[in-house]
Amino acid sequence: MEQLLPAVWFAILGFILLLYTMLDGFDLGVGIVSLLVKDDRERGVLMASLGSIWDANETWLVLFGGIIFGAFPAVYGLVMTALYIPLIGMLIGLIFRAVSFEFREHAKSKKPWGLAFGWGSLLTAVSQGFAFGGLLWGVTITSGKYTGGVFDWLSPFSIITAVAVVGGYVMFGSTYIIMKTQGPVAGFGRRMTGWGAGIAALGGLADTILAVGKYPFLSQKWTAIPGSFLTIVPFVLGLGAFGMMLLAIRRGRETLPFVCALLFAFFGYVALSANYFPIIVPPGLTVYETAAQPLTLRSMLIAVAVALPVLLAYNILQYWIFRGKTTGSLYGGE
Amino acid sequence: MSVFTDTLLLSRLQFGMTTLYHMIWPTLSVGLSLTLVILEALWLRTGDPAWYRHLRFWSRLLLLNFSVGVATGLVMEFQFGTNWEPFTEATGGFFGNILGLEGTLAFMLEAGFLGIMMFGWRKVPRGLHMVSTVLVAFGASLSAFWILVANSWMQTPAGGHFEHGRFVVDNFLGALFNSDMITSTTHMWAACIETTAFVVGGISAWYILRGRQPEFFLRTLKVAVVLALVMTPLQIFLGDAQGLHIYRTQPEKLAAMESHWKTNPPGAGAAFNIIAWPDNAGERNSFEVQVPYLLSLLETRSFTGQVKGLSEFAPDARPPVVIPFYSFRIMVLIGFLLFGLMVWTLVVWLRGGLALSRIRTRRALLRAWMWSLPLGYIAVETGWLAREEGRQPWLIYRVLRTADAVSSLPPWVVGMSLLALFAIYALLTVFFLIYAARMLSKGPDLSLVPPGEGS
Repeated sequence: MEQLLPAVWFAILGFILLLYTMLDGFDLGVGIVSLLVKDDRERGVLMASLGSIWDANETWLVLFGGIIFGAFPAVYGLVMTALYIPLIGMLIGLIFRAVSFEFREHAKSKKPWGLAFGWGSLLTAVSQGFAFGGLLWGVTITSGKYTGGVFDWLSPFSIITAVAVVGGYVMFGSTYIIMKTQGPVAGFGRRMTGWGAGIAALGGLADTILAVGKYPFLSQKWTAIPGSFLTIVPFVLGLGAFGMMLLAIRRGRETLPFVCALLFAFFGYVALSANYFPIIVPPGLTVYETAAQPLTLRSMLIAVAVALPVLLAYNILQYWIFRGKTTGSLYGGE
Repeated sequence: MSVFTDTLLLSRLQFGMTTLYHMIWPTLSVGLSLTLVILEALWLRTGDPAWYRHLRFWSRLLLLNFSVGVATGLVMEFQFGTNWEPFTEATGGFFGNILGLEGTLAFMLEAGFLGIMMFGWRKVPRGLHMVSTVLVAFGASLSAFWILVANSWMQTPAGGHFEHGRFVVDNFLGALFNSDMITSTTHMWAACIETTAFVVGGISAWYILRGRQPEFFLRTLKVAVVLALVMTPLQIFLGDAQGLHIYRTQPEKLAAMESHWKTNPPGAGAAFNIIAWPDNAGERNSFEVQVPYLLSLLETRSFTGQVKGLSEFAPDARPPVVIPFYSFRIMVLIGFLLFGLMVWTLVVWLRGGLALSRIRTRRALLRAWMWSLPLGYIAVETGWLAREEGRQPWLIYRVLRTADAVSSLPPWVVGMSLLALFAIYALLTVFFLIYAARMLSKGPDLSLVPPGEGS
């Protein structure tokens, strides 16, 4: 049991990151594509479709941070110091995204806050891509401390990751737009999905080739028997979801593309984390060296086992209450 | 050592700025969400649509306030990792755990039900709406609780031991119920409600003074007075308890807050400095205006009780004096001013002066309420300054020095992020004030029909 705890926490961490990427991913994707709409009124419809849920979605990031801090304290500060510039960029992007909804409601001139929503979302996505890419490409560590430079996160790999993350969020956002809106805005979502999905897929492929070239251990699990169930199998299933999403859009389905996009992300994450496990900070820091003491991991596990189902339940309740097409006004036209 | 080349100083400035700025917003979120619970209960009980309209009016202010709070709160969580790497590594086992619990158990509750509370009026039944409002308020208060647990543990660490520089928890409840926890969580929670009472009362007074819907806003003024009636004396009591606790557990912080240098000899009382200016090199005050015996009386409840002076502590273990001393005095002064305003209002009320026909003749009283609107915030900010500056040079009291806990980053990078965040906070403040002022000058929508009635 003691041996298993760090692995369990790695899986929980992956699950929270997955939830964040899917849920805030579509919020941010809606923000990014809102930069391309015809006028500010359409942007208003897009923002209204997120009004009641974006803050709960962002909370998964708070949770993600809290869990690394608690379960892998040796990783938290180390990685954040290494990724200082992209993380500050992300925070600035999130600040503008967060205030844009209410500020736009009160502003006489709506446009600047609509743009703050769009650019804030884009800055957040790009920064997250650089941070994630910077982490996966490897972090310079000497005796437990970060000893690299402030620009170490910048590499061809992280540039590709940033582009792929933007593409992925656009894909999530557009399928959400198809589901939640109607008329020309939904048509716009339909056109954007292919672009986002294409960029995300190509970027992911290029990243995989680069990463396997640098870290041969990544491909070792592909052929081993238990490992391949968690790497190759989800990879193939992910491709299947991807194809089904494109097909569903062509057939004019409204909810299915969004569901397929979520499945695609799910399988992608399973494959990615199974490949890297037990490495948590490449090139060589493992979950076992960085995990908190067993007592902490166990008490947090109990808290999460109780809280997570409740959290998911009322998140679902919230989506259920605001189900259906958005009306374009936050307060239901009063 | 210059501001531009010192990563430690820049990181401290950035943390202090972000913390002091962030704190403004949850202070109101905690208090106002509880006020909304009261308003919604009043509406459900009386069926009076005026309470429903109040609910809608004040919840807009809450949402505007909340969005800035969320935006700045994320920076709080991340900067522990970005700027204080050794601290996170040393304390993750407990401190990180608590922040994780805050996110899981509290913030998610608040953010999750806020959407239903704000936008679900016509989508959920009244009962479920009331539940949502209660959960938002509960989530906000619980969130403040966890944050204060984490901070109080930095003041009085307990429940474990340090092994190779890392905190190992032996007893989770012992760490949770560290000796400062009860006094500081209650003091801060009361501060949130007290500040909100004077924000709600101040805004209501402003409307009444202008003759805009005086009947409507007299209702919330009275709600604010009732809140103040409970909170202002309670807060003086809780503040005193906090002071006594600091005397017992962090004597050098108390001495700094009082600019008290020499321990009083047996049989003599320690004097209280009303005003003073410290001379750090000479270990005395350059000037002081004192009340004899009062400091001993306050801290020990005896005229000659011993109060340790700063000279007892090694110079490199002493907190700075000016900031704790003055910010503490400002906070206390505000506490008594607000208590006085409450007493004044109560006397007027008992004489029938808050009746609708007479309230507008009480212009001085209404103005006093209006001008006291920012006072609660100032008390919260100065209180935190005294608390955190008074803990220096330690980050975790007598365990980890602030200077040893900073990430090694080039100063220019921290300088840039400090400037960028400063500019953004300034921008947010300007627009928040513009939009809040616009919302208030537009006033409440008195034509709103409660859900399920009429249209």
